[in-house]
Amino acid sequence: MTTTIIWTIAIITILGVVLAVVLYLVAKKFKVEEDPRIDEVEKVMPGANCGGCGFAGCRAFAQSCVEAMNLDSNYCPVGGNDVMKKVAAVLGLEVKEKAPMVAVVRCNGTCANRPKTNEYDGYQSCKVKAALYSGDTGCFYGCLGCGDCVAACQFGAISMDPETGLPVVDEEKCTACGACVKACPRRVIELRNKGPKGRRVFVSCVNMEKGAVARKSCKVACIGCGKCEKACPFGAIKVEHNLAYIDFEKCRLCRKCVVECPTGAIHDVNFPTPPVKPAPKPAAPAQTVTPAPKPAETAAPAAEKPVAPVKETEHKVEPEKKSEE
Amino acid sequence: MNRILVSPSPHIHAKTSTSVLMRDVVIALLPSVIVSVLYYGWAALALLAVSVVSCILVEYLITRFMFKAPGTIGDWSSSVTGVLLFLNLPPSCPWWVAVIGAIFAIGVIKMTFGGLGQNLFNPAIAARVFLLVSFPTFMTNWAAPEGFLGVDAVSGATPLGIVKEGLAQGLTLPEIYAQHDFSYLQTLFINIGGSAGEISAIAILAGFVYLLARKVIRPYITLSVLATVFVFSGIFWLVNPDQYTDPLFNLLTGGVLLGAVFMATDYVTSPMSDKGGIIFGVGIGLLTILIRYFGSYPEGMSFAILIMNSVVPLINKFCKQKKYGR
Amino acid sequence: MKTFSIGGVHPDDKKISAGSNIEVLPIPKTVYISMAQHLGGPAKAIVAPGDKVKTGQVIGEPTGFISAYVHSSVTGTVKSVGLRKDLAGIQVVHVEIETEPDEWAEGIDTSDTLVTDIPQDRQFIIDRIKNNGVVGLGGATFPTHVKLCPPPDKKAECLILNGAECEPYLTSDYRIMLEKTRQIVIGAALMKKVLGVQKTVIGIEENKPEAIKAMTAAVAELQKISQDYNGIEVQTLKKKYPQGGEKQLIDAVMHRQVKSMGLPIDVGAVVQNVATSLAVYDAVQKNMPLISNTLTVTGDCLPADRQKNYLFRIGYPLSYIAEYNGGVPAEAAKAVSGGPMMGKAIANLDAATLKGSSSILYMTQEQTARKPESNCIRCGKCAEACPMGLEPFLLNKLARNGMMEDLEANAVQDCIECGCCLYSCPANIPLLDVIRVAKGEVIRAMRARTAPKK
Repeated sequence: MTTTIIWTIAIITILGVVLAVVLYLVAKKFKVEEDPRIDEVEKVMPGANCGGCGFAGCRAFAQSCVEAMNLDSNYCPVGGNDVMKKVAAVLGLEVKEKAPMVAVVRCNGTCANRPKTNEYDGYQSCKVKAALYSGDTGCFYGCLGCGDCVAACQFGAISMDPETGLPVVDEEKCTACGACVKACPRRVIELRNKGPKGRRVFVSCVNMEKGAVARKSCKVACIGCGKCEKACPFGAIKVEHNLAYIDFEKCRLCRKCVVECPTGAIHDVNFPTPPVKPAPKPAAPAQTVTPAPKPAETAAPAAEKPVAPVKETEHKVEPEKKSEE
Repeated sequence: MNRILVSPSPHIHAKTSTSVLMRDVVIALLPSVIVSVLYYGWAALALLAVSVVSCILVEYLITRFMFKAPGTIGDWSSSVTGVLLFLNLPPSCPWWVAVIGAIFAIGVIKMTFGGLGQNLFNPAIAARVFLLVSFPTFMTNWAAPEGFLGVDAVSGATPLGIVKEGLAQGLTLPEIYAQHDFSYLQTLFINIGGSAGEISAIAILAGFVYLLARKVIRPYITLSVLATVFVFSGIFWLVNPDQYTDPLFNLLTGGVLLGAVFMATDYVTSPMSDKGGIIFGVGIGLLTILIRYFGSYPEGMSFAILIMNSVVPLINKFCKQKKYGR
Repeated sequence: MKTFSIGGVHPDDKKISAGSNIEVLPIPKTVYISMAQHLGGPAKAIVAPGDKVKTGQVIGEPTGFISAYVHSSVTGTVKSVGLRKDLAGIQVVHVEIETEPDEWAEGIDTSDTLVTDIPQDRQFIIDRIKNNGVVGLGGATFPTHVKLCPPPDKKAECLILNGAECEPYLTSDYRIMLEKTRQIVIGAALMKKVLGVQKTVIGIEENKPEAIKAMTAAVAELQKISQDYNGIEVQTLKKKYPQGGEKQLIDAVMHRQVKSMGLPIDVGAVVQNVATSLAVYDAVQKNMPLISNTLTVTGDCLPADRQKNYLFRIGYPLSYIAEYNGGVPAEAAKAVSGGPMMGKAIANLDAATLKGSSSILYMTQEQTARKPESNCIRCGKCAEACPMGLEPFLLNKLARNGMMEDLEANAVQDCIECGCCLYSCPANIPLLDVIRVAKGEVIRAMRARTAPKK
């Protein structure tokens, strides 16, 4: 009995020693030389591995930062300037501050604004739906409403509004990683400057059809009339392919375009006061636009979009129709 | 044309669904259920009710309060587990054993993996093994309750248990058979002793024919289990007929038929391809006979199925059907 | 009786409209002729608003190698050339023509006389086929002249004529096999001449015994007239979907399998639909451009007297045909162009018919609406049904997790989108919806990988 125990202990001990030596040698032989700073940089990263920076994950990004001469081409959209400063501190480099961005849904084709022409009955995926046909509304360009962006968002920042059928971005949670932009087969979502105090002006439409056609399929479509382009004092707006686009680098948030837009396709968010009315004619829409966003914005900044557009359009379209008649 | 539906092709669907398939399995189990109720009486009926109701209830409670998802009890799969659990229990077993079995089968084996289709092991078989290990007395040694047919309530030990015990006492098989007045005809129609599902080979085969006719299962798994049991035990029997039971005895006793027809063919826990199914069936057959001949338990079917269940992902990986043009 | 070796399903064939003769539709006031009626580059419109066009006159020229001519199907005045929505709501260039009574373009033989002499000049036949805009009418609308001119290093051994019509409901191929039997056989002989093959097999499913009888008789009759018809035979095929799939038909008839990403010509096969064969006859023997085709209007919710097979000319709006037929039935919830397994749901009934239009199939809510998806129960019915031997359940999971390399390793690119997997799934998982998109992505990735090397 005792001999068995002794033998067991002896064999196990010898085995342990031999394996330890083998492990040591193997570790020595196959050691991977790695810059220790990569670990340090990785520590300050958010660790979401979302790929928003364009690299495979946080570690790949850290490695690229360590290898880079400067940090101009590397930017972590999730961590923002704070994280980049920390990265710069670790590496002893300089970093340029970037304006924070946010994902913006450029479609206001709610059920009321954009009537359904048929019912989609297949797999609820924008990708599948977009590959099949033009969609269940008359608009070939706008949001398909199956929520691929919601599934793509790793931060829970996008949700579908069941009433409008459109995605809503939670500005607090959005890190501007761009996953939703890539997921959207219709390129409805764009990363735009968050703006001072979250104030932004953008065209909430991506329809490139001719005005009459676009208008027929959706009440709040951009009809490419060009009024905003003329009204903009800073040359920030361009109308191309029947669609206006506001360059957020040039836009100074004067909101002259907002009151000019005949269909209410240009949205201003997070402003405390209504836009100034420059001419008496489009005054009616201007007045109706603003009361809606204001309370919504103070109460819940994330929910302002779906609330505002619905009301805005209901009022805005009517006077315009009259003027056409 | 009030609604215009648009969807990708195809625009028609075969008239089949999970619930239809599962309901067919329940229907196929009915002959066995009827025979056991007739044979074991009210006790069996009560046990059936307890095990089916508790399986459904456990599934409902878990989907409702833990998954917070729409209930899945409508797909009949928990009913199938409930009936199979009943058929795997001795009819005299206390009702609370069935409840524990149901909680283990549905709660632990099925739902922890994510519900129907996700589980690695067959819930009913896993529950049987769990109960067999936990409550060996209830599961193996019991007195048969009186049935509706008025057949004498004999000792509850199964033929396999009797054989195992006899061999342990140093008797030879012919001696054991002579002692217990054993005949094949009995096992074919109404077996003396055995858990509810083991008593009638004919009833199980009727269910098998129904499943094949309704195209619910394909015959490969079942046939390969039965063929392997027959051939493998036949080899041993030819070597030493005094020590090893004969092939026909092995086929007709214990849970071989029930397991081969209803448990090994469970979609979720069996291989997808026919080739994989045959390997799976052969494995079950070999393990069953090995356990019966050399293991400490008289019956090996449930262990064999459970062990082979764990190999299924591997079989699926290596047994793919031939692709066109490759 | 022959059939393909892997998978397949047996949907109820429901050939309700099989008994109704082909009726000629009257010409509507306005037709809209799409410039994208074929696989490959869309044709370029060569008419302008105000132009007078004659029936059979070229109005669209091919752009690129894989493309085809488009002809005016009517006589009249071009009203506009511009974007119009097709049946999926996608904007495509259409030529709008206000119709007048027919005046045929020169050189077109509009008589009914059967021309049985096969021209011996191979190039003459190809030119006629190309100039008359013939495309494959089995579904893919691949330009026929391209398919009949295999690359010089590959030799065709067998021409297969697809008369399987394995899709439920459709009866247009069946009707032309009964009513234009000899023309189809002559068309086959013409293509046989072009390809220089000895053997031609006309494959017809067993559920069309009358078509088999008629075709066999026509082949025998024509073989007495000329040697050019030797080597043509009719082959009865088992009723199993997708028997008419190109790869399945080759497997069934020749017992050969096309390699992954390969073409039928790699195994010496060329497959053409019977309707294409009829179009080839018209194009070569009559110099008649492809401006008309047969279309089935059917559905369980349609009364028996409205189950029709119509001869339409391209550009007739689908809504016009539906109206002529007596309107869309109230119970219909979906209209499909093509068969129920592979056809396209019509989102826009105002869309114009194309060369390849084969049906308007009405389906009720009950028949067609998708049921809610439940858990996969790993029954393997999808894998059993897949005629390509794929594992749809696996591809579905890989696709939903975006695992592109694994998708390619599991041959998602071989999927023929026949719909057998989704059809047979008891858990109602939208397998094909997911796999189809993944297949597109994988093929794009594969092309992107090989492109720079070339």
